[in-house]
Amino acid sequence: MSWSLARKVSVALFAILLATMLTTAVFGYYKFEDVLSSLVRSRYSFVVFTIKQKVEDSLNLGFSLRQIRQVQDVIELEKARDDQIHGIDVYDHNGEVLFDTDRGVMGSRVPARWLEPLASPSGTAGATQPFSFIDEDAMVVGLPLVNSLGKVEGAVVLRYPEAYLERELGNLLGRLALEFLTVLSAFALAGTLAAYVLLRVVGRRLGAMETTLAKVLAVGGEAVPNPNADEFELRFAEFCDKSREAVEQITEASAEVERLDRLA
Amino acid sequence: MKLDSSRSLLIRLFILAVVVLVAPMTLISLRAMGEFEQGMNPEMDKKAAAIGRDVAAQVDRAVGYGIPVDKLVGVEEFFAPVLTANPEIRYLAITDKIGRVLFLRGAEKDELEPHYQAADLEMSSAEGIKASIGTYLDLALPVAPRGNLIAHVHVGFDQGYVVSKLHDILYDVLVVMAASLIIAFEILLFVVFFNVTGPLKLVGEVVERARHGDLSHVPGGASGDEVGRFVRAVAASIRNVDDLYRQLMAYIDEVRTAHFDKGVVEKVGDVEARISFQFRFSNTGKPLVLHQRRATDIRLPLFLFVFAEELSRAFMPLYVREVGQSLFGLSPEMIMALPIAVFMACIALASPFSSRLIDRLGARRVFLIGLVPAIAGYVMTGAAVGVIDLVLWRAITGLGYALVTMACQSYILGANHHSNRSQGMGVFVGAVLTASICGTAMGGVLAERVGFRATFFVSAVLVLLAGIVISHMLDSAAPPAAVAPQPRRNTMRLFTNWRFSVLMLFAAVPSKMALTGFLFFLVPVILTQGDWQVAEIARMVVLYPLVMVVVLPLAARLAEYPGWRIALVALGGLIGGGGLLTSLFLPSELSMMIAIAALGLSHGLSASPQLAMIPDLCWTECRNMGQTNVLAFVRLVERIGSTVGPLLAAAFIPVWGVDGAVVALGGVVLAMAVLFAGASLAYGTGPHIEAEEDLA
Repeated sequence: MSWSLARKVSVALFAILLATMLTTAVFGYYKFEDVLSSLVRSRYSFVVFTIKQKVEDSLNLGFSLRQIRQVQDVIELEKARDDQIHGIDVYDHNGEVLFDTDRGVMGSRVPARWLEPLASPSGTAGATQPFSFIDEDAMVVGLPLVNSLGKVEGAVVLRYPEAYLERELGNLLGRLALEFLTVLSAFALAGTLAAYVLLRVVGRRLGAMETTLAKVLAVGGEAVPNPNADEFELRFAEFCDKSREAVEQITEASAEVERLDRLA
Repeated sequence: MKLDSSRSLLIRLFILAVVVLVAPMTLISLRAMGEFEQGMNPEMDKKAAAIGRDVAAQVDRAVGYGIPVDKLVGVEEFFAPVLTANPEIRYLAITDKIGRVLFLRGAEKDELEPHYQAADLEMSSAEGIKASIGTYLDLALPVAPRGNLIAHVHVGFDQGYVVSKLHDILYDVLVVMAASLIIAFEILLFVVFFNVTGPLKLVGEVVERARHGDLSHVPGGASGDEVGRFVRAVAASIRNVDDLYRQLMAYIDEVRTAHFDKGVVEKVGDVEARISFQFRFSNTGKPLVLHQRRATDIRLPLFLFVFAEELSRAFMPLYVREVGQSLFGLSPEMIMALPIAVFMACIALASPFSSRLIDRLGARRVFLIGLVPAIAGYVMTGAAVGVIDLVLWRAITGLGYALVTMACQSYILGANHHSNRSQGMGVFVGAVLTASICGTAMGGVLAERVGFRATFFVSAVLVLLAGIVISHMLDSAAPPAAVAPQPRRNTMRLFTNWRFSVLMLFAAVPSKMALTGFLFFLVPVILTQGDWQVAEIARMVVLYPLVMVVVLPLAARLAEYPGWRIALVALGGLIGGGGLLTSLFLPSELSMMIAIAALGLSHGLSASPQLAMIPDLCWTECRNMGQTNVLAFVRLVERIGSTVGPLLAAAFIPVWGVDGAVVALGGVVLAMAVLFAGASLAYGTGPHIEAEEDLA
């Protein structure tokens, strides 16, 4: 398949435009998702932090974690305030769920992974730091519960759907994708048209030179360059004349040789 | 528009590319930013509400115990940790029913109180009321125990917080856009040179010969486009004339051999002599096809190749740290520096071998051969499981890098006559610098999104792409570069020329030491300690090639005057060394920026004059050993500096820390630059070439 110059340039421009817009869109979106997810995480971390404070106040009064019954009301109230929260769990350092917004799971054990953040040597910062991870289809943010002696008694964790952001951003993405396609198509078309206009001049001038060459060789006469011709076109006109001259000279010579041959 | 000049066409096409790329990117980015901002605002509100509710609940509880709101104690101390843990929240406040500020932390009372008193907050709902106050967004939540409104809790967040968070996205967009424009320029340059200017220059050459009656050549390499059609038309016209000529010659031969009349034979001979006098045709039986090498042929593949290498520039030491931390009892810093040093050492060691291979196999083949270790190196570096294998894969990548870059240099030297070799090398330097700018910047963005390992795989794909381009572009039947074989002598003898030794040891080597030790190694290590993201580190590192791009042409122009050369090299060294010492006086990040810019300025000033000085300082050596060999030796010595740089910097860290290592490295570089500056004063005195008699 033969491709014109304009087509080559348009395809190159379109490929660059598409790659640039896709790269930017993908990077930009994921960066935005990072920022937003960290914001969501920090909001839920704050909720967890307030629960932690309430539980630790009671722990500091000398109650054991299992005895602080009002924790169940606190976590249920927080869940009721935000329908995006899957659940809030409070478990002890052995992994037994003591309080849960889903009362049915109370008494069960949390996955071993949930205990890992509590496993740092007591007294080190690691055991009291907030933690977050993905568990199946849920994002988990949590904080260890520490008594006044610095002993880790357990943890409080909050689960919210991993797909939360996707749900939140679905419409936004849809709108942006449509605009993206519209802008891409419009500018690809504009670029193609502009490339054709820009390179038509080259094609036209080359075509004119080609026609001149063919005409001069076939019909004879002098190549007359365009009034605005550049140096290349002027030299090409001379080339046309020289080619014609060569053809004429050789034709004349052939005729002369033929005449000499016949004379004899 | 000149048809056989790429400049005007390229300018028009580049303007078109800028319009086609920048306008839609700006449009869609602005729209996306608006949408992103709107997408973030509800989350900010929810967070402010969560914090406000908690504070209101605490106040409510205290009031429930019978403490009046205005008599609460320690409220501002209670606010402090909340504000510290949530940097987007600028202040927390409690006001009474009529808007008087009772407690406030994070802002000035005078800024807020007039607004609170003017606002009608009586009717505020449980969800709160949002208001814009100066640069803050204020959320007011009621404190109403048993339905009796007694106070409001105010949570104020920074209106610019969302925007500041979006700035990071904007920087990435700008980096991608700038890199895309550079890539667009490179691709358009390739399209124009390969499809328009190159073939038309070839036609121009044939036309020029034909104007003087030489019809022995036709232009080769016609494509399917308008230019290709034109090239074929020119070739066809010459072939047509050539056919007529050959028919005439055949006829003349026939008459000569068959004719008995000597007079006719003589006259026919005259006709032949006349035609041969007027026109020149190929004596091979048909017109020769004219092909021409151009330095620009190699530019796009070289750009892609260097781009691939530069992708990992901003994070290589960080990647090494991620892969492994222990090796033969070496310090962690030394382990991080090792792959960079080994990579540079392999380039140094492989370069002389590459030159010999190119002489035997030609640039194209060596380029393609070099791609094998390069691709394998990138893939395996991305899959490395420990420091030992990572070092090995970097060594293999270094071998590939040496083969490919030497092949490119050789191709360019072969494509340009001696008189315009500097123009050819300009193509090389231009491709390397532009690839360095966008490769480093894009690498940071890419690594932050897809991770270090995947970025190496992207490098491998780019190198493969470079291979595909080169295998399609350069004719496999093309002969090896027409570089005259250089006489080989013991190049170590160059060190007997003290001027050369001083230039190498006190200018070239420290300059490379600063580049690899500081820019490639210390900058990522230091900035990552300051919690910089990889994309941010990359944007900082890019300063170096950016400054170079600006300074290099100017310095190259000045380097044409011999009197300026030594001064520029000395000045460059002093600026580079001095820049590294700024961390003694300035905060770390600012001094980093200044040091990187100073290094770019230093190398921009000294690179061209340094090379230009070699033929002056070593003219007998160049005559005896060949200038190419001398320059290859210069490169080799420079690479020693590149190898030593990261190791030296890593050795300084355990003693003086990372900031101290920058100063120590700067001290070494500056001391050597001072020595060079001092020694350079004696360059014009004494016998010019001490080694001349030995070598001659």
